[in-house]
Amino acid sequence: MQRILFITFTLLTLVIVGTSLSGSRELGEIDRLDLSESSVESVLNQLGNKPLPHAIAEVDLAKAKMGEDLIFNGFTTIDGKKSKRISSYFVCTDCHNTAREFEDASSELTANRLTFAQKNGLPFLPGSTFWGIYNRTSFYNGDYVKKYGEMVDDARNSLGNAVQLCSKYCSSGRYLEDWELTAILHYFKKNELLVKDLGLSERDMAALSSNSRSEVDNSRLSAVLLGSYRQSYSATFLETMDRNVRPYGQGGNPENGKLIYEKACMFCHENKRVTYLHLDNGKLSGAFLWRNRKNYSDQSIYQIVRHGTYSKVGRKQYMPLYTKEKMSDEQLNDLVAYIKQIAKK
Amino acid sequence: MMKQILFLLCLTCFSIVRAQDVVETFSGTRVINGHSVETLKKRLLEFRIEHRFGDIAGANGGVQQFFGFDQAADVRFAFEYGISDKWMIGLGRSKGSGEPYRSLVDGFTKYRFMTQQKNGMPLSMAVMGSASISYMTASTDLAQVASFPKFSHRMAYSFQLIAARKFGEHFSAQLMPTYVHRNYVAATDVNGLFSLGGALNYKINKTYGIIVEYYHNFNPSGFRSDTRNSLGVAFEWSTNGHNFKLNLTNSRGFGETQFIPHTYANWLDGEFRFGFSISRNFKL
Repeated sequence: MQRILFITFTLLTLVIVGTSLSGSRELGEIDRLDLSESSVESVLNQLGNKPLPHAIAEVDLAKAKMGEDLIFNGFTTIDGKKSKRISSYFVCTDCHNTAREFEDASSELTANRLTFAQKNGLPFLPGSTFWGIYNRTSFYNGDYVKKYGEMVDDARNSLGNAVQLCSKYCSSGRYLEDWELTAILHYFKKNELLVKDLGLSERDMAALSSNSRSEVDNSRLSAVLLGSYRQSYSATFLETMDRNVRPYGQGGNPENGKLIYEKACMFCHENKRVTYLHLDNGKLSGAFLWRNRKNYSDQSIYQIVRHGTYSKVGRKQYMPLYTKEKMSDEQLNDLVAYIKQIAKK
Repeated sequence: MMKQILFLLCLTCFSIVRAQDVVETFSGTRVINGHSVETLKKRLLEFRIEHRFGDIAGANGGVQQFFGFDQAADVRFAFEYGISDKWMIGLGRSKGSGEPYRSLVDGFTKYRFMTQQKNGMPLSMAVMGSASISYMTASTDLAQVASFPKFSHRMAYSFQLIAARKFGEHFSAQLMPTYVHRNYVAATDVNGLFSLGGALNYKINKTYGIIVEYYHNFNPSGFRSDTRNSLGVAFEWSTNGHNFKLNLTNSRGFGETQFIPHTYANWLDGEFRFGFSISRNFKL
């Protein structure tokens, strides 16, 4: 009996000591498992990088849940009362996924994005994903200045301001109240990048786990980490293709086009989910888009994909454009090849 | 054993085929005069302007009346709203055709309880109930229906079942059995009237379509001999958020309590009129 008590006591002591030590371990002493589950933000901080401007020390799960409600529904519930809707026209997930969009977190190749969307049942949307947006440092990049002018100045380096710009102008809604913005940022924090998301090499994982790293090592590892995901997404606005050089689906892949049509066009247009125009895989929809293919109007797929429409008084609902990085010209041609197919032309 | 395997295979196949809703059986919540099976989507407010001109030909038409454009048989303004994707309500005000009512306020509610599905439900069905009240100055001639001896005499109601089916992409058909009750009618009329409506819609393409709508009234023998059945044809033009209908109909008034029991004009006498409806949607 004494032996059993001794063994139990010893095991308990080991567990307690082990637990207390693991709580105070430095990065160099973290085992592989802990490192994989560590946030990229915390590892970068420990490697000596500047903290994120919008850094949140710890996720408040209640706030994150409210943030999730706001993002998916445009409102949440506080003390049993429904909050004021952010926008009458859109919710965030009409244009942004909240899940991972690339196998390789550092990629922004639109072909890879479509493949990943197909594999994982995601829509193919004009906005960048919210997955990992907490770790990004630059927003409304590239040509977004053409659409939003100097309003992007304050949004480019501030996640909070970027969310506000999106809330007010992109969603044709209103500026968020402080608690709403905080809730959304907590949701973003909850969906921040973890080391395991970056696909680091064995060598880099070993170096990160090591307890004897030099400044040079830290600097190299920081660069590796920062190069393993996107701090920003490029945004190149393309002009509507000249009607004389449009390939009109020639050489395009209609199978790929079907994927784009269903995951991009129909995501909003099927049964007028977000818009007033219903589109389906039928001949009437195909013929409508095919008939207008040569135009420079909103009805032309070449025009609408590259320019979208603009929100205006009396017609706040609009269609966002697809940048080159979100839909390439090759993909647009695949889409037109599919439209031609369903139009039976 | 083989039968069981086949049964399981069939079951699996059926469960794989996902039923998908058939949409746009009709473009808009109205056919021409009456309701279609469609309802407004949730949080959508629709502003409607509907207009019926005078007779194109016949005794009251022709070039002297510029083929009816000099007159307004009836005009209706209305706000209608989608409470859910299947339930809508509406409130409207119309001039009234004067046969017998003028200055009407109407309200209705419509609920779509069944939706046609690909590989599933063959029909879309809805129920609609409406009421109208005339606030016109009562006639001093007690022989007139519009004398309204009691306040309740100003009111009329309708109840309608709407069953529709879309056949392929171009063609849709709809049946509308309807009951109309008017609280006060002439001696030669009946308070309760049954009518069966039918409508056809042919979509030429995504933008344009042609519609025909007819209501056949079941008048009791010896009553309502001066009335006609409502018949309309329309050319439809749908754009993003707008729906225009240019129509020709022998009915003058708006709403089931008007155009079903109170159509007196005869197409064969040139007593049909040009009309239009414009609707504009706002997301709330």
